[in-house]
Amino acid sequence: MSVNRSALGQRRRGHELKLGALALVIVAAGHVLLALSESPAFPRDLWAFLGAILALFVIAHLAVRRLAPRADPTLLPLAALLLGIGYITISRLDVAAGAADRVGPTQALWAAVGVVAFVTTLVLLPTVRALARYRYSFLMLGVIALLLPLVPGLGREINGALLWVRIGPLTVQPGEAAKVLLVVFFAAYLVDKRELLSAGSRRIGRVYLPDPKHLGPLLLPWAASILIMVQQKDLGSSLLFFVAFLAMLYIATGRYGYVVIGTGLFATAAIVAYKTFGHVQSRIDIWINPWQDLQDTGYQLTQSLFAFGSGGFAGTGLGLGRPDVIPVATTDFIFAAIGEELGLLGTIAVLIGFMLLVGSAFRISLQAQRPFLKLFGAGLATILGMQTFVIIGGVTRVIPLTGVTLPFVSYGGSSLVSNFVILALLLRISDESATEAEDDAATEEARRAIESAHA
Amino acid sequence: MTDELLTVLKFCFLALLYLFLFRVVRVVTLELKADKIAVPLAALPVTEAPVSQPKRSRGARDESTLVIVAPESREGETFLLDQEITVGRAPGCGIVLADDTFASQVHARIYRQGGKTYVEDLGSTNGTLLNGERISGYVRVRRGDRVQFGQTIAELTR
Repeated sequence: MSVNRSALGQRRRGHELKLGALALVIVAAGHVLLALSESPAFPRDLWAFLGAILALFVIAHLAVRRLAPRADPTLLPLAALLLGIGYITISRLDVAAGAADRVGPTQALWAAVGVVAFVTTLVLLPTVRALARYRYSFLMLGVIALLLPLVPGLGREINGALLWVRIGPLTVQPGEAAKVLLVVFFAAYLVDKRELLSAGSRRIGRVYLPDPKHLGPLLLPWAASILIMVQQKDLGSSLLFFVAFLAMLYIATGRYGYVVIGTGLFATAAIVAYKTFGHVQSRIDIWINPWQDLQDTGYQLTQSLFAFGSGGFAGTGLGLGRPDVIPVATTDFIFAAIGEELGLLGTIAVLIGFMLLVGSAFRISLQAQRPFLKLFGAGLATILGMQTFVIIGGVTRVIPLTGVTLPFVSYGGSSLVSNFVILALLLRISDESATEAEDDAATEEARRAIESAHA
Repeated sequence: MTDELLTVLKFCFLALLYLFLFRVVRVVTLELKADKIAVPLAALPVTEAPVSQPKRSRGARDESTLVIVAPESREGETFLLDQEITVGRAPGCGIVLADDTFASQVHARIYRQGGKTYVEDLGSTNGTLLNGERISGYVRVRRGDRVQFGQTIAELTR
């Protein structure tokens, strides 16, 4: 394999390396700071820790250099920083947890698995557009992954949500894989059908409607998200799937009508769910007034709000707060734990980090030339952005709380691995479009040279 | 370790965080400056954008291969694209699609120029499709792309 040394690629990889180095310094500083809060000495495992994070980043960076040299330079460092902050917070919570409940080492292991998944994706997938050919296989796999937890004997219910599958010693969330699989299908399907879906053939009053036969498959995501809500009691994933699909539909067709219809469908489903299902109703009630049942149902959310409150502007400092009293602080409520120890300044930094990450993902989508790459990139960006919004909005009581992980930050193997795959796919899209743009520019130049020779 | 020192270190840590974000923003700004105007998908034409007519370059030594993948009766037939080749039902075409009733007499032409392969629709009735999308004018064909004339599909292999 020859490494094409383009100026663009060189510049982008240089930026990636510098930003990545700074991210590593910050993560190492956080690790030291956490240790200093316990005892006035540098942590003994400092060199091992430095070596580990350096190795993980360098492997990922070299893989990008080799396999996607022209890809966007900001995604990998941002992901590294978010993962690092998450890890520091998780190991901070480990200090307070009992020996049996420590999850830091597992998270470190998952981070390594994530990097392996990242490199593997780049190796196995030389071009993203090849994925479009297998759209219906991806649809099938995605639906199977979604339904897997419902299989008796295989599914595991944890914290009231049925979205886990037990494989030997591991419990995995197949829904995390389904996210990516279904976005591939949506993107390929919508690119095929966008002409039919954006130009209406039937007229009702003043609106043109597309042929109903093309709308059929569009109701599928709606039905799927209702099924997830009802059967698996997972409001977060349900919302995530539906919004991602709606956003992609809008991006593909440019018609507001779909957004209106989709929002209407979702609102109807939400109202019916509120009236019918106890677990939905209790979520909404807690959201409206978490203080009425402080010790029981409202406990999680009020503890989260207390954490933000006691964090204040600059936080208590790493290792100096009590974020361990927040329930499920390593996963759903990790943002609250960050809020307590790093304060408003720290949480805003994390938010800006996510904004830049999702913004870069959308920029990759805009820069792509091919419709499939554009839509696929936009879908992945939407998934990342929505997931961040749903969980941060949930723990800060902006929207009703629904449990999803905070990408890269929360503890959880399935989520971490799937986010690394999303990262690799985005980098691949970015590299592919940049390479094609460079090719086209070279062709154009050659043509001009020939024309001027003839003239 | 005194609390004062820890507080100072905490602010140093937060300052580092913001320094990082600031540097990312600077790289993003650079990226945006270097970028051509980005186009939203809904504004993109369904076919690839036609460009101005190229002049044929003579004496290009490079070559490329087109393999028919459908219909089954002709699957595997290979054509070397060392010069311009026309595709259609007319007997004089480089690739004769005599049995394909959906193809036009002179349907399209495929040519190499500057090391790249292009396909141009020559006003056929049912159009020429690149990876399932109807083209207008000429478009670049990349390795692995599928070009469809009438009901015949060919893949560029090299």
